[in-house]
Amino acid sequence: MSIIIDENTRLIVQGITGREGTFHTEQMLQYGTKVVAGVTPGKGGQEVLGVPVFNTVREAMEKTDANATVVFVPARFMKASVLEALDAGVPTVLTIAEHVPVQDMMVCYRLARLKGARLFGPNSFGIISPGKSKAGFMAHRIFTPGNVGLMSRSATNCYETVFMLSNNGIGQSTCIGVGGDMIPGSTFVDLLGDFNADEQTKAIVMIGEIGGNEEELAAEWIKKNGSKPVIALIAGKNAPKGRSMGHAGAIVSADGTGSAASKEKALAAAGVLIAENTQHIVDICLKLKEEGRI
Amino acid sequence: MKLLEYQAQTLMKMYGVPVPGGCVIAEGADIESELAGSGIGYPAVVKAQVQIGGRGKAGGIRFAQDAAQAKREAEDLLGKEIRGLTVHKVYLVEKQEYVSEWYLSILLDRLSKQPMILFSSMGGMEIEETAKTAPDKIKRIVVDPMIGVEDYMARYLLSSSGLDVSCTKALDQLLKGLYRCFREKDCMLAEINPLVVREDGKLIALDGKIDVDDSALYRQPEVKAWREELPEEDLVKEAREFDFLYIPIEKGGSVAVCSNGSGMLMSCIDMLSKNGMVVSAALDLGGGATKERIAEALRILFATQGVKAVLINIFGGITRCDEVAGGIELAMSRGALEGKMIVVRMEGTNKDKAIEILNGMKNDDVIRVDGLRESIAAMLERRDRL
Repeated sequence: MSIIIDENTRLIVQGITGREGTFHTEQMLQYGTKVVAGVTPGKGGQEVLGVPVFNTVREAMEKTDANATVVFVPARFMKASVLEALDAGVPTVLTIAEHVPVQDMMVCYRLARLKGARLFGPNSFGIISPGKSKAGFMAHRIFTPGNVGLMSRSATNCYETVFMLSNNGIGQSTCIGVGGDMIPGSTFVDLLGDFNADEQTKAIVMIGEIGGNEEELAAEWIKKNGSKPVIALIAGKNAPKGRSMGHAGAIVSADGTGSAASKEKALAAAGVLIAENTQHIVDICLKLKEEGRI
Repeated sequence: MKLLEYQAQTLMKMYGVPVPGGCVIAEGADIESELAGSGIGYPAVVKAQVQIGGRGKAGGIRFAQDAAQAKREAEDLLGKEIRGLTVHKVYLVEKQEYVSEWYLSILLDRLSKQPMILFSSMGGMEIEETAKTAPDKIKRIVVDPMIGVEDYMARYLLSSSGLDVSCTKALDQLLKGLYRCFREKDCMLAEINPLVVREDGKLIALDGKIDVDDSALYRQPEVKAWREELPEEDLVKEAREFDFLYIPIEKGGSVAVCSNGSGMLMSCIDMLSKNGMVVSAALDLGGGATKERIAEALRILFATQGVKAVLINIFGGITRCDEVAGGIELAMSRGALEGKMIVVRMEGTNKDKAIEILNGMKNDDVIRVDGLRESIAAMLERRDRL
């Protein structure tokens, strides 16, 4: 098992002829990912690393049996690429670019919901199911197959955790870069159900941050439905608080959501194991392993 | 990017939002001639231009009966600190007569991930208090971005607030203008508080706050041009020239942190703070830094007042460890490090080469460690030097 991306994933790379697109296509192919098509406007008919290139996503969908796409285009073209993929009926869309205008993502998010598609990122390293397949640009050497599922708003904190887990003999089922932007295509609560239902996943690690209320929503979900140990880290406890200007932010968070304290409290009340730092996540996992729970 | 009031009002006006119109006076300008040429009638209001809420309560809004008083108030405000921010500009507007104060804003709502309209018949300085004590006095509408603002929304806001719906047309027009401004100018927030109602039923936006998405500035040239005018720390600007994100944290701290991702930075700051160290600044290198850029990053961090040690924490990805080590060497050869120290922890591509470079430097002020926890411990062990 594992979730979202696995050996049955047949991937399109949008922007395959670009420098990053080509480099990471090669990396993904070497890792075993089935890259079945590339898309670059005006480059249809060419081949990159043996992968056929199409002018549009729709043609790639018509001519191949693709079921997912990863969008390797610069931030300013992300919206057009994602809307094209969603319109072509791709069920799983991963975006990785940094600095995407948030209103572009707002529209993509809305369309993904209306189409019933799964959208991930932006500002994400992608998704990897170690030993099976990866879609994105993560340095895959540090990942090892196993039964801990990870999802993280931060790439560096996720790498750090995975590196230490692997060094301690704890492998991963699937690692998901939820992404650090204000509007992530999928949030923790969208993925908890998948991890919970996944046979391979025995424990779930959630690396969150201050701001927003995704961790609070996740806590609610876990309280109702969770059946596996969940470990959570909230980064940014001592991050500088932005000078608030308008009142709107204070009005919508008048109930106190968004702070690290609020998140940890909600998660702890749902039975989630709270980690102080990335090393602590590993310590908790080791203890679970000792107890035979993972 | 948070705009100043007069800038926000300039944008709102472009979208038909009725604003009073006024005159901007910058520090160092000839106030008297500016006032004479402005055509502003009296009584007037002199408003400090700072990007922070609550400036009215902090004495940043003054009233003037005539030009002489306006000049005195402007002189007094310019250069003054309001809630920690220096006033470089004041905005002079004619005082408005009105019968009620409303609140109106559109923000990007993190929960619904769509624009949300907030409206209250109880606008003014106490709006945040109202949100806590009487949340039902604030009406919310989530706007589907695929549809936008429709007529019934203004009608709902007024009717559900117990207000006279005869204002619907005026509010509807204003709301549609504000929404277009929000969408077309890539706003995270567009707020009017207070939105006042004159006796004749006309609405006027007495204040304006706009926060524009930094990631969208490339397509908002007029807003980008304003950024140059904003008061900002020199080191922040300097760092931006190298595509670094420099974040001032706590004045007087003796430690700074440097990493290749914001998550890792936050983790380091959390761990240092938990151990009683005061972090003064953080710098995000982004991906793929070269040794020249690393050296610049170190120079900028050590230029921060009071910083005696920098913790570098690099984890793989596209940043090469040997470039980081080379950057440290370069910064040292330029003398950035005298009497200061660097604790460096690196993991990833070309780590072996990096260790070779660092060992070759034979410098006790550069301490290399393995592991995140160990890097914090190394800082703690040398606390007497901080």
